[in-house]
Amino acid sequence: MSITAKPKPVRKEARPSAVGSGPRRRSAVSRFFRSGRGDSPFKRLLIHLALILASLIAVYPVLRVLSVSLRPGDRLLSTSLAIIPEDATMEAYRTVIVEKDFLLWIWNSITITVATAVVGVILAATGAYAFSRWKFPGRVPGLIFLLTTQMIPAAMLMVPIYILAARLNLINSYRGLAIAYSVSSVPFSIWILKGYYDTIPIDLEESAMIDGASRMTTFYRIILPLSTPALAIVFLFNFMTAWNDYLLARIMLQKTEMFTWTLGIWTLAGQFRVEWGNFAAASIMVMIPVMTLFLYSSKWLISGLTLGAVKG
Amino acid sequence: MGALTGEVIARSLGQIGGMVFFTLAGALILEVSIYLILGRVFSSKYTLPYMLIAPAAVGLALLVVYPIGYEVRLAFSNMSLRHFRDPTFGLAQGIDNLRSVFTKPVLKQAMFFPVLGRTILWTGVNVAFHVIGGMILALLLNRPMRGRGLYRTLIVFPWAIPQVIAVLAWRGEFHFEYGFLNVMLRGLGLEAVQWMTDPFWNFAAACITNIWLGIPFMMVIILGGLQSISREFYEAAEIDGASGWQQFRSITLPLLQPVLTPAIVLGVIWTFNNFNVPYLINRMELETTDILVTALFRAAFEYNRYGFSAAFAMVSFAILFVFAVVYIRVSGGLQGVYE
Amino acid sequence: MKKMFAILALLALATLLVTQCAPAATEAPAEPVKLVLWTKEGEDALEWNESLVDEFNAAHPDITIELVKKENVEVLREDFQTASLAGTPPEMLWTVNDHAGPFVAADIIQPVDDLFDLSVFVDSALAAVELEGKTWGVPVSNGNHLMLLFNKQMIAEAPADTDALFAKGQELTSGDTYGLVWNQTEPFWLVPWLGGFKGKVFADDGVTPTLDTPEMVATLQFLHDMKYDAAIIPPESDYDAADTLFKEGKAAMIINGDWSLGTYQEALGDDLGVARIPMVSATGEWPKPYTSGVYFMLAKEVSGDKLEAAKEFMQFVAGKDKQLEMVELLSRLPALAEALDDPMITDDPILKGSADQMVVGTPMPTVLEMRCNWDGMKPEMQAVLADSKSPEDAAAAMQTAAESCIEALE
Repeated sequence: MSITAKPKPVRKEARPSAVGSGPRRRSAVSRFFRSGRGDSPFKRLLIHLALILASLIAVYPVLRVLSVSLRPGDRLLSTSLAIIPEDATMEAYRTVIVEKDFLLWIWNSITITVATAVVGVILAATGAYAFSRWKFPGRVPGLIFLLTTQMIPAAMLMVPIYILAARLNLINSYRGLAIAYSVSSVPFSIWILKGYYDTIPIDLEESAMIDGASRMTTFYRIILPLSTPALAIVFLFNFMTAWNDYLLARIMLQKTEMFTWTLGIWTLAGQFRVEWGNFAAASIMVMIPVMTLFLYSSKWLISGLTLGAVKG
Repeated sequence: MGALTGEVIARSLGQIGGMVFFTLAGALILEVSIYLILGRVFSSKYTLPYMLIAPAAVGLALLVVYPIGYEVRLAFSNMSLRHFRDPTFGLAQGIDNLRSVFTKPVLKQAMFFPVLGRTILWTGVNVAFHVIGGMILALLLNRPMRGRGLYRTLIVFPWAIPQVIAVLAWRGEFHFEYGFLNVMLRGLGLEAVQWMTDPFWNFAAACITNIWLGIPFMMVIILGGLQSISREFYEAAEIDGASGWQQFRSITLPLLQPVLTPAIVLGVIWTFNNFNVPYLINRMELETTDILVTALFRAAFEYNRYGFSAAFAMVSFAILFVFAVVYIRVSGGLQGVYE
Repeated sequence: MKKMFAILALLALATLLVTQCAPAATEAPAEPVKLVLWTKEGEDALEWNESLVDEFNAAHPDITIELVKKENVEVLREDFQTASLAGTPPEMLWTVNDHAGPFVAADIIQPVDDLFDLSVFVDSALAAVELEGKTWGVPVSNGNHLMLLFNKQMIAEAPADTDALFAKGQELTSGDTYGLVWNQTEPFWLVPWLGGFKGKVFADDGVTPTLDTPEMVATLQFLHDMKYDAAIIPPESDYDAADTLFKEGKAAMIINGDWSLGTYQEALGDDLGVARIPMVSATGEWPKPYTSGVYFMLAKEVSGDKLEAAKEFMQFVAGKDKQLEMVELLSRLPALAEALDDPMITDDPILKGSADQMVVGTPMPTVLEMRCNWDGMKPEMQAVLADSKSPEDAAAAMQTAAESCIEALE
């Protein structure tokens, strides 16, 4: 069996270009780029200010949505910039939960998303292993194909996907949507997992096989446990893609009782009049689980996205 | 509690159970057939890898290959509302569609090349700001400091929010009377901007929103890459007397390249094809804010020119494909990713 | 290992067969006829839809109607077209009249002339879904028209003509209060005035756009003056903004449609006044808002039992008591001619005002080409209101856009 895991290309030795023998000018700008020790307090202050500004910009629109969700119903549009309005009320939240089918939408989303993430991980884990460990015919075209699937505007595929799903009787079922979601995140997941597998040296499996283990056993017993961080990332990615999706859900779910939250939230937007308060309240509630999950695993995400590409 | 009853929960669990069963059963049948055919009949040494990728391949064939094939076929037809039931398929229609893509207006007034130009401008502006902004933030964060985790958590907000909600929130902020941008502009004594009706400002609004959305992703990637660059390089360079900027150019940038290249390629592809932002921000449906994907969506669904828009999609895809191939070749990023 | 594989495979195959085939075998012979109805309604109208469906299902055990709400009319139209393409369209639609154009062009709905006695309906309601000599929808409500609504606390009586409108409006406009508000982004609000200036969007053949006319220029100029000379309307206002201003009492008058009557009655109570959009002083003509309404449409392949069931439901809704129920709940005018004479309408000043306006309205064109007109008018109207184009240029641009759009429809 051929081995595809190659040693990483040797890192180019970093050499500063001709510095010149002139006096070393440490301009403020160049000092700025140097990281770490010896930062003057002034520089640190600047950095903190910049980061605070960036954080504010990042968070402000969300705070605005929060404030709309807290406003009493008859004053939804107003020029006040206060985050918590004077007569804040939880009325919108109450309405959305009790009177609208918000909980139903969340339930639908959860079930579909979890199913998607599980199936997606399985599909990607096995597929990526094949791409990583074998040089089978069709491997390179396959990889290129995976990349090109990212380039297709999804909106264009709406009509044929609907027709196919209708013929296969997958409309209005969790089945159809979960399968569609799992498959749609497969390319990216395979890419990530393959990169990670590539960094696991083949010797581990070879020695296990010498001891009599079959290929698949080494996969289950050795590779998978070692790839837990990458698998977690793939799970998270599949989860987020399925949770936030609108286009596929709209094609495949026609019955209101099957709506995921992305479809359900649009029912709060009438033909002419958007129920902004309810819409905002629903948005905030939807964001909470997603963001918690996201932030909780963001550490992994950061290292995960560079897996397989960078090796110190 | 609306319609979430115990009955509904039970039914949906049943459906999910059914789905899992269905998938497993299907996958098993698939695997067994491949095993038998390839393993027994052909004794191929590639049986196992094919078995591993088979389920994914089948899924992709259904979800991607079939629809693309359908669209390609549609591109060779004249299907529209008038020719809905029985459109004519043929090379002549295909050529006709292709000609229309380049010579006739996509929707009302916009022609192909201006829209393409605008898409390229859109992509360029956005990716440039994404990379620069992400780079700056990553460099700032790449040092031991207090509150680093907090900053990182907050700055990542735009990425964590469901995109549709974020875009709608921004759209609200571009409202002439009540959006905070205009409120602040007026507060500063400047004139309020007609974000929704002025072509230039509408495009700017879409860019602002997309930049806000995209910087966290780049920052996270670059930060990850920065953190894996060993300090020794910088120390060696400092001993040799290199200035900060030189260090950046000779150490940081080259060592980031294996990380940066795939990120930029992905960023360009995703931005080029970004549908949500230009579509939703463009409340007044100004043609001047349309990029390729939104224009072809409108052509397909609002004008029902199915055949035409399928041809259009092919052209758009071809452009991206050529770009990706060229970029990867030129930047040599192929090594790090595909081997 | 291999044996395990084989056993598992057989098991899987068996399960698959069982789950897929069994349900078909256990279907009861006498099943109720099942119909799917897509509706474009929301809020209270949707609730009325639901109550209608529930009542009907209860009274007819052999028929089950499933109601599916579509987010808005665009989604309904797109999805109906896609579903028809796939061969799985819903049997009935509850939608607006201008969908008839695209659906007839695509040949996915059927005419209703032979299914109903259509003479019981108001003429203008039927005219709005007539194409190629046939009627393509069964009317439910009539109207959907714009009218002048005013706050009696701020202005005692509606102005009779546009000169009075400007004069009164200027008195009332100051600070953040405006004399008049309306949705400045949609050409739906432009066409009544066009009618008032004796213009039309189509030539007599009903398919050739006539947008570059002196009448259109006069209309655009009039709207421009309303904003920049008389200054009685806000600098920018879409539907939500106009709606909010009126409800908050910051606008004395609003031009809005019959769908908003319910909410305004709630907000203003007895202070709500309804009148015709003021007569254009320059021409002496009443503005002609488009009237249409809400209609049932039937998918093309519906036949046999399903068709009979659908007919029953439509007759149920078109019956006098349901029509009057709709008037009471939604303040919409009925499509049934008999119901129009009911004291419920003639005695209610709001409904009377609405009916009064409707009488001078004109049926909204439903041909496929109308879309091109709407799309042509929209950006140009906005440009004139943004003071970035002259009315003459805008009218010319509208015409070119509409013409190239129609060309592209082929």
